[in-house]
Amino acid sequence: MRSVLFAALAAPLLAMAQGVSAPAAVVTTPQVRAELVAHAPQGLIAGQAIWLGLKITHQPHWHTYWKNPGDSGLPTTLAWTLPTGTSAGEIEWPAPQRLPIGPLMNYGYEGTLLLPVALTLPAGFAADALEVKLRAEWLVCKDVCIPEGGDFVLTLPAQAATTGHAAAFEAARAAAPRALSEARATVEVKDDALQVRIDGLPASWQGQTLRFFPETAGVIQNAAPLQARWQGSQWQATVLLDPQRSASPTLMPVVLRLPAEQGSVVVAATVQGSWPALPAPAPLPSLDAANIEGSAPAAAAVSLPWALLLALAGGALLNLMPCVFPVLSLKMLAVAGQGADRRALLAGGLAYTAGVVLSFLALAGLLLALRAGGEQLGWGFQLQSPAVVAVLAALFMLIGLNLAGLFELGSVLPSSWMAARARHPVVDSLLTGVLAVAVASPCTAPFMGASLGLAVTLPTGQALAVFAALGLGMALPYLAATAWPPLARALPRPGVWMLHFRTVMAFPMFATVVWLVWVLGQQTGIDGAGALLGLLLVLAFAAWALGSPTLGPRARGGFGMAAAALLALALVWAVPLLRHEAAPATSAAVSERWQPWSPQRVALAHAEGRMVFVDFTAAWCVTCQINKRTLNDSAVLAEFDARRVLLLRADWTRRDATIAAELTRLGRSGVPVYAFYPPGAAGPYVLSEILSAAEIRAALSATAL
Amino acid sequence: MKQALIATTVALAAALAAASALASATVGQPAPAFTAADTAGKTVSLADFKGKHVVLEWVNPGCPFVVKHYSSSNMQGTQKEAAAKGVVWLAINSTAPEATDFKAPAAMAQWMQGQKAAATATLMDADGKVGKAYGARTTPHMYIINPAGTLVYAGAIDSKPTSSAADIASATNHVKVALAESLAGKPVSTATTKPYGCSVKYSSGA
Repeated sequence: MRSVLFAALAAPLLAMAQGVSAPAAVVTTPQVRAELVAHAPQGLIAGQAIWLGLKITHQPHWHTYWKNPGDSGLPTTLAWTLPTGTSAGEIEWPAPQRLPIGPLMNYGYEGTLLLPVALTLPAGFAADALEVKLRAEWLVCKDVCIPEGGDFVLTLPAQAATTGHAAAFEAARAAAPRALSEARATVEVKDDALQVRIDGLPASWQGQTLRFFPETAGVIQNAAPLQARWQGSQWQATVLLDPQRSASPTLMPVVLRLPAEQGSVVVAATVQGSWPALPAPAPLPSLDAANIEGSAPAAAAVSLPWALLLALAGGALLNLMPCVFPVLSLKMLAVAGQGADRRALLAGGLAYTAGVVLSFLALAGLLLALRAGGEQLGWGFQLQSPAVVAVLAALFMLIGLNLAGLFELGSVLPSSWMAARARHPVVDSLLTGVLAVAVASPCTAPFMGASLGLAVTLPTGQALAVFAALGLGMALPYLAATAWPPLARALPRPGVWMLHFRTVMAFPMFATVVWLVWVLGQQTGIDGAGALLGLLLVLAFAAWALGSPTLGPRARGGFGMAAAALLALALVWAVPLLRHEAAPATSAAVSERWQPWSPQRVALAHAEGRMVFVDFTAAWCVTCQINKRTLNDSAVLAEFDARRVLLLRADWTRRDATIAAELTRLGRSGVPVYAFYPPGAAGPYVLSEILSAAEIRAALSATAL
Repeated sequence: MKQALIATTVALAAALAAASALASATVGQPAPAFTAADTAGKTVSLADFKGKHVVLEWVNPGCPFVVKHYSSSNMQGTQKEAAAKGVVWLAINSTAPEATDFKAPAAMAQWMQGQKAAATATLMDADGKVGKAYGARTTPHMYIINPAGTLVYAGAIDSKPTSSAADIASATNHVKVALAESLAGKPVSTATTKPYGCSVKYSSGA
C-alpha cells in the first residue's frame, strides 16, 4: 500500500523533474542557449538505444556550422563522458542551409537546432539512472566569430519515460536527410569540375531546384553557382572544383535538399575518373655542381652586382658579333679620321652611349610591360614574328649593300637630312646608337637568350639595371675611343685600305641576312623564304636605282620609277606569304628520337615510369644549335636509351603560349632550356645553358630511377 | 532558340557572378602578382621579392583563431624562424572598412607591434583585391611562394582546426614543414590543406 502511494507521489514529481531540466544541462551565452536533452519514451532498457541531443537556440542572425562548414568555420563537436559499456553514435546532422558571406559560402544553422545522437545501452544495464556528461564546443558567428563551449550533465531515470522534448526530436528526425537506398549517384572528375549524376530521386522532386551540399569538405568551390538540370528522372549538375582542393575522396556523400523545408536526402556518390594530381611545383634548379658550374649568369641565386658585371662583359662582347662589328668598326675609323676637337668627339661618344643604353632599356621595358600585361613573351620575342624577321633581313641587306658600295646614303636621303646630320653630330651619334641596338638585338637572342630570359624574370628594377649594363658594355669600346685620344691614335691611319675594309664588312651583314632568311623559312615555310628573297632582290635594285652615285638624274628617274613599281608588286606578292605556316614546320626538328613536346606526352611517359628530357629550342637561337651537337653525341644518346628516357623537343621558333607558360613555370623566359622531368613527385631539374656530355651524364645518374 | 537564349543568359549571369567570386590561385602555378599599401602607406609588390621565398598570412585581430596563434606566440615564432632563413613574410588584412572588426592602418600596425610580430610588412587590402586573387577564405590562411614565383603551399597554419591554443603543441605546423622542404629544393609534401578560421570579411562593394 505504502509503496503504491510512494509511486503515485513520486511519478508526478519525477515527471516534473524531467520538465524542469537540471541547471547543469543548460549553458547560456549571449549568442546561444544550449541544452543537453534526451528522448527515451520507454526509459532505459538494456541493449536498446535512446536519443540524446544538443539543442541550440541561436540569437537572431547568429549561426553555427554543419559537418562541412564550407569555406570557413568549424562544425560543432560533442565529446561524451559515459559509463562503461555505453556508446554514443555520430551526430545525425539535420540538412543545413546556405550561409553566404560576401564571396564566400558556409553551411550551417540559424534559429533553433537539435543535433541528435543515438546512445546504445550495454546488454547488462541494470542501473536506476544514467548520468551523461557532455563537453560541447561550437563556433557561433554573425559577422564576428566566437568559439564557445559548455559542460553539460544530464541524469536520466531508467524506469520513467523521458519525453519532454519529443517534438524537437521528431522535428530533427524530419530535418535529417533521408538515406535513399534506391538512389544511384556518380561523380565524375572532368577537367576542373565534377559532373554529378543522380538517379532514383523521389518522383515528386523531378523538375524542382535542389540545393546541393557535399559532406566532404575541401573539394568544391562552395560559393560558385550550381549548374543543375533534370534529364528526365536523372538529376545532373556541374560543380566547380576548388583550385586549392585538399581532398581526393573515392566516395562523396552529398545532401540534396528541396526548397522551404520540404525534405532532404543523402546519397553516397561514387567517384569515377581519377583526381588530377595535386600539382608538384617545380623546385629551383637543384642538381648542385652539375648545374652551377656552367651557368653563373643563368642561376637564379646570382647576386645583382655579379649579374651586372656579366652583363657589361656580354655587352662588350656584342661588338664582335657579325651584326654589330661592321657598324662599330666604321664608327671607330671615323674617330680615327677626325681632328682634335676632343670635346665634340666626347660629346658624340656620350650621345652614342646614351642612344645604346636608352634603346636597350626601351626594348627591355617593352618586353616587361607586355609580360606584365599577360603576354606570353620571352627574350627573343622579336624574332618569333615573321614580319619582324623580314624587316630585320631587309635592314641588314640595305646596310650590307651600302657597305658594299651599291648606293650611298647621301644620294638617297634628301640633302636637307644630310645637312641636318652634319649640323647635329650629337643627335646623329644618338641615333647611331639606336641603330646599333636595332642591329644588335637579333644577335643577342642567339647567344644570350637564356641569360637574358632569366634577367627578365627578375624584379623590374633589377631587370632594367641588367639591360642598362648590357648597353653600357656595348657602347664602352666606342666611348673609350672617343674619351681617350691615345686609343684613337692607336688605330691605323686612314687610307685606301679603308674602302676595302668597308666592302669586306658587307659580307658579315649578308651572312646575317642568310641566317634570318633561314629563320623565316622555319617559321613560314619555303614559300615565305622565297618571298623574302624576292623582296630583298627588288629592294637591292631599288637601292641601286635611287642611290647609286654613278647614275645621272635622268637614269635615276627612269630606273627609280621601275624600281618603285617592282617594289610595290613584290610587297603585294610577298607580304601575304610572310605569315606563320598553319602546320608547324618542325619536320627538321622531329626525328625518330625526338618527339614534339606536349604536357600530355610528359604525363603519359610518367605514367609508364619513364623519365623525360625536354629540349626547349628555337631556330633563331645559336646556343641551341651549338648544344644540339652535344645532344647528338652517340655516347649521350646511348645513355638516354639505356635509361629509357623519352626525348622531347619544344620548338619555340614561333610564339607558343604553352611553351612560354612552361618556361615561366621553370623560372625562365628565354631559350635554350634543358630540363629533366622524373616521374613521381620530384620536380623538373633544369640544366645549364651550355650543355656538356658530362653534365648530362651526371644529371642522369643523380636522378636515376 | 528561346531556350538557347535563356541558357546563354543564365550562363552569362553565372559567369558574371563567378567573376565577382574568388579567383583561382593554384598550387603549382605562378602566384598572382599584386600591389598593396602597407600600414605606413608604402607600396609593396610581390614582384619586389622575386628570388626569395614569400609567405602570405591572412590576418584579422578580431578573429579568435588568429588570436589563438598570436596569444600563444605560435605565429610570431613561425615568422621569426622564417625571417632567420631569409624568407619574406607579408601579413595581409583584407577586412572591409564596413566590418565591425575593421582596423585602420595605424591601429593594425600598433596591434602587430604589440604582438611582437616579425612580419616583413603588414599590408592593408581593404578592397579585398589581393584576398580574392588568392582565394583567401579564412583568417588565418597561409600561402607560400617560391623564388621562381610559383605558389607551393596554400592552406592552414597547422593540422588541428580548433580555437584552443592548447592544441598547437600537438599539431603539425604546415608552414614550417613546407618552408623547410621548399628551402631545401624539395617539392612540398603536403601542398594543400583545408584552411580553418573565421571567414575573411570582404568588402561587398568590390
